[in-house]
Amino acid sequence: MYAPCCLTLKALMKPELCSPRRKRSPAICWGIASALSLVLITKASFAQDAPRSAEDEMLRRGAEIYKVSCVSCHGDKGQGVEGAYPDPLVGDSTTGELASLITDTMPEEDPESCVGEDAEAVAAYVHYAFYSEAAQIRNRPPRITLARLTAEQLRQSISDLYARLDGVSNGDQEHGLSAIYFKGDGWNDEKKAIERKDPVIDFDFGMDGPGEGIEGNDFYIHWSGAILVPQSGRYEFVVRSSSAFKLEFGNDGRVLIDNGIQSGDQTEFRKAIHLTGGRIYPVKLEMFQRKRKNDQPPASIHLAWVPPGGTEHTVPSDNLLSDWNPAAFSLQTKLPADDRSYGYERGTAINRDWDESTTAAALEFAEIATSEMWPRYRRQHKDDSDENRARLKAFLSDIIQVAFRGELDESTRKVYIDEQVNASPDDGEAIKRVLLISLKSPRFLYPQLDSDRSASMRSANRLALTLFDSLPSDQWLIDRARGGHLSSEDEIRQAATQMVTDPRVRSKTMGMLHEWLNLSHMADITKDAETFPGFEPALVNDLRLSLNKFLNEVVWSEPSDFRQLLQAKWTITSDRLAEFYGDTWKPLDGEHGQLKRSVDDAAHRHGVLTHPLLMSGFSYHQTTSPIHRGVFLIRNILGRTLRPPNAAFSPLSPDLHPDLTTRERVSLQTSPESCQVCHAKINGLGFAFENFDAVGRYRDTERNKPIDAAGSYLSRLGEEISFQNASELADYLVSSDDCHRAFVDRAFKHFVKQPIAAYGADRLDQLTQKFKDSGYNIRNLLVEIAVIAATQDQAQSRQDT
Amino acid sequence: MKSLYSRRDFLAKLGISAAAANLVLNLPSLGWASESLRKKRMIFVFSPNGVIPDHFWPDEAGALGDLKRILKPLDPFKSQTLTLHGVCNKIKGDGDGHMRGIGCLLTGIELFPGDVQGGSDTPAGWSQGISLDQYLKNKFQENPETQTRFGSLEFGLMVPDRADTWTRLSYAGPNQPVAPIDDPYQMFDRLYGQTKNRELLASVLDDLSEDFRKVEKMISAEDRRMLEEHVSMVRQVEKELKSELKRSKEKADIGHAVPNLPANVEDKNDNMPEVSRMQIELLVNSFAADFARIATYQITNSVGGAKMKWLDIDEGHHELSHEPDTNEGAYEKLIKINTWYCEQVALLAKRLSETPEPGGEGSLLDNTTIVWTNELGKGNSHTRDDIPFVLVGGGIGFQTGRAMKFDNVSHNRLLMSLAEAMGHPQASFGNPDYCGDGALTGLSG
Repeated sequence: MYAPCCLTLKALMKPELCSPRRKRSPAICWGIASALSLVLITKASFAQDAPRSAEDEMLRRGAEIYKVSCVSCHGDKGQGVEGAYPDPLVGDSTTGELASLITDTMPEEDPESCVGEDAEAVAAYVHYAFYSEAAQIRNRPPRITLARLTAEQLRQSISDLYARLDGVSNGDQEHGLSAIYFKGDGWNDEKKAIERKDPVIDFDFGMDGPGEGIEGNDFYIHWSGAILVPQSGRYEFVVRSSSAFKLEFGNDGRVLIDNGIQSGDQTEFRKAIHLTGGRIYPVKLEMFQRKRKNDQPPASIHLAWVPPGGTEHTVPSDNLLSDWNPAAFSLQTKLPADDRSYGYERGTAINRDWDESTTAAALEFAEIATSEMWPRYRRQHKDDSDENRARLKAFLSDIIQVAFRGELDESTRKVYIDEQVNASPDDGEAIKRVLLISLKSPRFLYPQLDSDRSASMRSANRLALTLFDSLPSDQWLIDRARGGHLSSEDEIRQAATQMVTDPRVRSKTMGMLHEWLNLSHMADITKDAETFPGFEPALVNDLRLSLNKFLNEVVWSEPSDFRQLLQAKWTITSDRLAEFYGDTWKPLDGEHGQLKRSVDDAAHRHGVLTHPLLMSGFSYHQTTSPIHRGVFLIRNILGRTLRPPNAAFSPLSPDLHPDLTTRERVSLQTSPESCQVCHAKINGLGFAFENFDAVGRYRDTERNKPIDAAGSYLSRLGEEISFQNASELADYLVSSDDCHRAFVDRAFKHFVKQPIAAYGADRLDQLTQKFKDSGYNIRNLLVEIAVIAATQDQAQSRQDT
Repeated sequence: MKSLYSRRDFLAKLGISAAAANLVLNLPSLGWASESLRKKRMIFVFSPNGVIPDHFWPDEAGALGDLKRILKPLDPFKSQTLTLHGVCNKIKGDGDGHMRGIGCLLTGIELFPGDVQGGSDTPAGWSQGISLDQYLKNKFQENPETQTRFGSLEFGLMVPDRADTWTRLSYAGPNQPVAPIDDPYQMFDRLYGQTKNRELLASVLDDLSEDFRKVEKMISAEDRRMLEEHVSMVRQVEKELKSELKRSKEKADIGHAVPNLPANVEDKNDNMPEVSRMQIELLVNSFAADFARIATYQITNSVGGAKMKWLDIDEGHHELSHEPDTNEGAYEKLIKINTWYCEQVALLAKRLSETPEPGGEGSLLDNTTIVWTNELGKGNSHTRDDIPFVLVGGGIGFQTGRAMKFDNVSHNRLLMSLAEAMGHPQASFGNPDYCGDGALTGLSG
């Protein structure tokens, strides 16, 4: 049966685990399959050295039984057998769980033949030899592998090369744009009427003009500041105005939308642009209301955007900055998407598509370098000697040293700069030539190729790569590296601490949190309009803004306490949200603006867990989906992975079972034993949120029956936890080792883009412990991750060479 | 250069105009293969602020005698020159004379109401319609036989870096001004950027793959595989590029040769003569390569204020153009300035005439019509009567080598004639109110 239920469920799972599998009977499944990456599991092998200690005998006995009864279907190392049971035996179930599964179902032809102590012995052997995470790491120790820049890293690196012009801003300034209002239709110091900060640009001045003393038919407004871009992607800017205006973006004179003259009745202007996350783009918006001899339309102006995956809304105050900010550049070249099959982006694909995109990227950057960077450099260095085009060469070597992450030796300088400049009498062509060869060079494209650099330079390289997805371009960091002040762990930690509040880190962190909450995979959320009137795109947009701001406030507040993410009693609200969700979404007294902190809801709000964006995202059109919610909790919050469902099922229709609650329907549908292997775990977690309907509103009853939100969870270490509702579940999660490990592991992978076990088999345990000891400080965790990447990677690269 | 028995002659014998024939009979153009195979091209050259009529217009209609001072540079092309006196831009509505002068020149329609206030009259916005060059481009691009890579190219010379009614000649449609490119390097990139970039890429890849070898030493054997894969791809790309470039070089005839521009010429007032040479070179080359068959060359802008220091003129053109005729110094300077514009037209004609028609007979000029025009008839009166229209070249069946005088006809009718001569007649062009009498007659002799 074609079935939306499990198809949508699959969207929650790793793609490589989603293909329909051949299988002999549902009962063969080993319950929970590995949460870990496949790289660890494909060639799991039984260690040659015999197990020692007291369990020796049991393991020996298990190995013998396995050889006789299991090998034909599962392979000698548990790798699976095509045509029988093709999947590797790997996972995170306990020995006890395995033993009972074997007792009940194995071997398939005669489950009675292996029970009791025999089953326990086989379970112990399988667990030890190849099934467990520890076995996988032991059998095939992961290593730090070479990778080229990912698409995001290439974008970020090029933005930082451009930043050699002016540096980057930390964004630490008042929100909104600086506004100067003039009488008359242009800048005139004598006619300045108002100077102030405008939190957002959304004005309808009508015929009266923007303020006292300013004629409504004759004025000029100059807004300046910057736009902070939260994540990389395509942004569409929308300016609506009945007057002439001009929007400059990224640099003085770089016009994004030019409506310098008002003509006819055209009032809406759109322009899409690819922007790089964590970057601050200076903007200037000028509005000209020119006096006319004939009829004049009323004046209005509105600056909105459509961010990636979002809907159109006024550019929020949080994304507007009111001071001067250095020029910024964002690559427009389309870059092929990176492999994400390991749960994080990896630059591994070497193909023509990618190669051509690096050419296009280099040429695009050469253009901006020629038109914006070179003229500026020439002006600033007009007194330097220009013998033998020394100025151009100096300009290029500054860029290339940053691109190559260290100073250039004679032969590199000769190949990449001198020979190229000498081959082109035209400066623009010389710049193009140098950037083409340099940005296509392995010295730029492979950030780990730096074993010829000093220890401090390598530390700086790893820090920038880990925290910024980029290269060291900030002058202080380069100076510290060149001075040799980044060699000890303390020095590295100090630098990482200095870097961690940078907007680039904030953007990368937001990306990690979105992955953690599965938001990057969540499609548009729509609900049945009759059941949930008012749940409209604009409301969903507010929910998105609310969740993002909540995440930012928790992570970048002083305590940066991870537990707040799961436990906070407050949230971020808007007028629209308060109207829809009721009193518990009222803003705190004294809060103003579009997005505000809400009052506490001590009884029913638990951080992100009960946030309506997640609750509605993990729901159907009309009803909740305890299965989606449960799968999300197991996989994302608790870091366990489920094998895919036996087949695709569509959910039982509520209309066919009018007297059943959602919980009862789900229980009924997943009651077969073959389903229960996984659903015993999924349902128990998902039911805990039954108090939150398909739009995330709190409810006590469904279909006139009281809500039953009780559930349970069996941890990685085999502890059975039960809870009565979401509140008790949230209490458990903040103290759960599974939950902490899952978060730490995800953060590490997202930032370092290597498996954490490559940095030591017990690194994850150590780092999780450190995380706990720091009071679950997220910022601190990011610093420690960067420190590990910067110290350990070097140790390996020293060994290699 | 006219074919012996052209479609036009045929229609003339039938006693109906080409436009009417197309509209009434819906004749397929393929019937006149010889004419449809022959390329037709048109270049609109704009110069600002009106002319000095006494030193511009031939005194009499009929065969061109001695050219007046301003037109003197066209002497070598006299037999291919046609002057059209008495054609007037009658478009009214919003906008000052300069704005309507440029904004309605090729569009033949009013400007939208807007907020750009000129020195007089009501404020206005952009033009309400498409310009003739863009109309012809669209028609050419619709037909595979006349389709080219760009369709049209919009060149400029020292056009100020601001978008307003005074700086735009060409319109892709209502409210859609087309910005001319006045930086020859930018135009070069547009025309030859891809080819040039591939050449550059090919020339650096060799050095690059050398460097891979040095870099390989920095990593472990396990990781080396990825780099090896990468470098072998680079070598493959290099090989393919080189043979591609070799092939295209072998194929290249004169028309495909990439022109060499002088290096590092800054786009500024004092470099106008040099930049103009570069732009003309690019224009002629792009026609020879058949990148486009329609072009505009906008010298400065409406109210353009070029300071022709190379002619020992320190004042800007626009401010001089306001001087009364009695100011002899200014009068003389204005003649010189306009003569310089004419020299650009003559240089364009010269370069076209020196370039053989690829795969055809004669020169590019034999199949290209330059339409040199202006926003005003005369600078100090701001009149849009007697707009300068000087045609140079051939291939559209007009009888050249003569001066024509019309009696105060609307310029829409000339736009219709040009559209018709280019093979795409229209019942009207721009505002139909000015098209009632149809295309101008007598142009083909």
